[in-house]
Amino acid sequence: MSREWTIKSALIAIAAVLMILGGAPLYKHRHYEVPVVAGPGVTSVIKLSEFVPSLKGSMADADVFVLEGKEPGGKVLVMANTHANEPAGLLTAVIMIENAVVEKGTLMVIPEFNASAGRNTRPGDGYPLYYDIPTEWGAKRFRMGNRDTSPLDQWPDPDVYIHYPDKQLLSFIDVRNTNRTWPGRPNGPLMEKVTFAAMEMMRKDRLNIAIDMHGAETMFPVTNCIVAPQKSAKIATLVSMTVKAMEGFDNHVEPSPPNFHGLSHREIGDFSDTLPFLLEAPIPFLDQPTGPKTVKLLLDGKDPFLLSLSKKKKLFVPYDENGWPIEKRVGQHCSVALEIIRQYSKKNPDTAIRISGIPRYADLVKNGVGRYFHDPAKAEKKSVYYE
Amino acid sequence: MGVIMILYYLICAYILGLLAWDFVREKKSVNDMILYLLVLIPLLLRILRIK
Amino acid sequence: MTFQVGVILVLMVAAYAVAKWRKLSVELSILSAAVAGGIAGAIVKTPPLAELPRHLIEGCFPYLDVMLVFSTATIFMAIVSESGGVNYVVRGTIRAFYNVRFIALLILMIIVLIPGALTGAGSVSLLVVGTPVALALGYLGVPKKKVAAMMFILAGLSAAAPPVNIWAMMLCAGTAIPYVGFEFTLGIPVLLLGTFTALFFGWKKEGTLDKNAALAAMPEVPKGMSWWRVLLPFLAFFGMVAAYRVWPFGTPIFGLPLEFTVSALVALAVSPKRIKILELSRNTMKRLLPLLATMIVVGMLQQIMTATGVRGLVSFAVISTPLIPLYILLAIIIPASEGVLTYGAAAILGIPLIWFFDSIGLHATVAIAGLSLLWPLGDGLPPTALIGRLSVMVSDYKDSYWSFLKTTWLPWLVITIVGILMVVYSAKLAFLVKWSM
Repeated sequence: MSREWTIKSALIAIAAVLMILGGAPLYKHRHYEVPVVAGPGVTSVIKLSEFVPSLKGSMADADVFVLEGKEPGGKVLVMANTHANEPAGLLTAVIMIENAVVEKGTLMVIPEFNASAGRNTRPGDGYPLYYDIPTEWGAKRFRMGNRDTSPLDQWPDPDVYIHYPDKQLLSFIDVRNTNRTWPGRPNGPLMEKVTFAAMEMMRKDRLNIAIDMHGAETMFPVTNCIVAPQKSAKIATLVSMTVKAMEGFDNHVEPSPPNFHGLSHREIGDFSDTLPFLLEAPIPFLDQPTGPKTVKLLLDGKDPFLLSLSKKKKLFVPYDENGWPIEKRVGQHCSVALEIIRQYSKKNPDTAIRISGIPRYADLVKNGVGRYFHDPAKAEKKSVYYE
Repeated sequence: MGVIMILYYLICAYILGLLAWDFVREKKSVNDMILYLLVLIPLLLRILRIK
Repeated sequence: MTFQVGVILVLMVAAYAVAKWRKLSVELSILSAAVAGGIAGAIVKTPPLAELPRHLIEGCFPYLDVMLVFSTATIFMAIVSESGGVNYVVRGTIRAFYNVRFIALLILMIIVLIPGALTGAGSVSLLVVGTPVALALGYLGVPKKKVAAMMFILAGLSAAAPPVNIWAMMLCAGTAIPYVGFEFTLGIPVLLLGTFTALFFGWKKEGTLDKNAALAAMPEVPKGMSWWRVLLPFLAFFGMVAAYRVWPFGTPIFGLPLEFTVSALVALAVSPKRIKILELSRNTMKRLLPLLATMIVVGMLQQIMTATGVRGLVSFAVISTPLIPLYILLAIIIPASEGVLTYGAAAILGIPLIWFFDSIGLHATVAIAGLSLLWPLGDGLPPTALIGRLSVMVSDYKDSYWSFLKTTWLPWLVITIVGILMVVYSAKLAFLVKWSM
């Protein structure tokens, strides 16, 4: 072999080894399944493709867990992983699916609203691929996803994303961001189909409430809050005051800007009769000035840089040595969602919703998140779903 | 998979083919050989639908 | 934590320096820094050693689409050039405007601004119209060094120009501020700064070439070349870009790489002379190799910087700076961050900066516009220097890169001052946003 080809062969071998060692975990991540045990309240599991058939067979076709009570009443939709790199929403949704019992009305839960983003990683941002939540029966592993849909499922991006139907110009990347593609269209890009399917579900099934669970940086002004348009503002304000008085945590109300399009808290209200609420819990992991992006930071939210910035009053939430642990964030989502349902039911007795079995803020802070997950190995096979 | 996405895989394959050809034709510069391989990595992983 | 991350940062810088000292290329030096940072991080398990290959491979991806844009656009322009179209356009421009220098310079400036303004990428301006404009400037008696400098500044301004400014869009997306109100806020400064730049570099004619001599000195245009043969591929490109703007819900999303590919096929079909497309494409890719490789290694560097906490430390240092020094430092940190991280810089420094500015009562939209005038300057700075290198390439400037960069000093300074003043006085300039809406 000539010197040239000896060098080339060696380089090809190194590149191949690197590609296999580095590519295999990425492939595995995309195809890793998270078992979710359908709890006693789950009455059926449907797909978003029931509302937009062209989603069928794609990675974007999300599961909708339906928990229908014996007594008729109102309907509430809870969505998580609209942004799949904000895990408190997903953990809350899984807790609801595995534990909630609906006495009156219907609870619908979409744990992986942007199912493709849940199987996507975030190049350049050095995230871990998974995070483990400790439980009594071992660790439950979840994929750490991305804010945006995988280009393997939606490609290419436009040079600029023009929002439907308002023609507002948005960043090209937002064509893959399911909190910019509302209200969507049945024949638009894949993520517009996803949001359109959810809109159709809300309109056809006459849903009363939609709750979209997120996480936001501690340096972002719109964090630790409920974002609500005018039509939901009264309930949101009552919820904010109640959780502060009864459960001792802050969650202020932010108005949904009327001229910022594509967001769930704006378009759901404008294009259906459903009352939208978007919940933001602080997630220090997503802040730019943090130390290494580790699973520990993701779960305990402790970071010395943020602590220092907090002392300089540059954060928008109180922040101390205790960070913002995942129990607090999931607890806030659970309590705020339950309180939205309670306040709505008080005002609308005809379409009231009554749910039990979902832990509240204090329970989660005391017991941890893993306490509420059920062992899929011990569950009936037919009640285990893979997300 | 839509027609446009298929065209993107074809564009990737064309560029990958050109770069691979250039790599084979590169006789002297080890630097360039390494750079060709680096640029080929994401194109190949995209075509294989790994990332 | 600061010490641990600081040590990793020092090791990365050291690895870069040693690699440069051992005469490795910029690309391999950046790769060395990324690998060194990853290994140093692995000692303290940030990231764990077993995850290092995954981080390096994942880091190859942030700019994959940009690489496809560069590749397809450059092949497209290579076909237009090979078919004689570039020479034909330059000849026409010189013939029509040689004696009205002011108009000629303004027209050439507008020609450079349009593609970047429509796509948000200065690279597209350079790749699509850079070569003919640079040649035309050459025949107007502007020396190559000044041509390269002018192309670089104008390409940067074209990227900042409305309607599409990717830095502003990324900042708006990251700060939940609507991407509206930028038309006059960005349009007015871009046009004023562009005119200043074009006149500063182009007004003084050097050499003694008169119109006829210039026309005689130009390469021959192949027989059969005509305006429609030159225009058709560009019409195809701008037609596709414009169709999505005009009928956004009736036009499929083609994306820039496919738009350039279609235009390239049109150019190939209407070329008056036969073009060996495979050979031309292969040579083009060879020419583009350092630029494409830079995008790969910068992605790897970003990934490792974040996984190890180095990126966070840099961001922390910037955010912790007191207000007045911060205003002054913007002149350095914004372009420097772009030089290392390209668009990633907008997310890392820009988002926290805008949140901070917003919280102290500055007008976020105007402040974003001001910052987005500064970012393109960084595209001329190493290690990436993406736009700077393209400017040099399309201008066929062969001397040292630094002497080209030094030539840009006055427009650079003026743009910096304008950008920073827009941030500082953003509240008073809020009327520009109102005009735009």
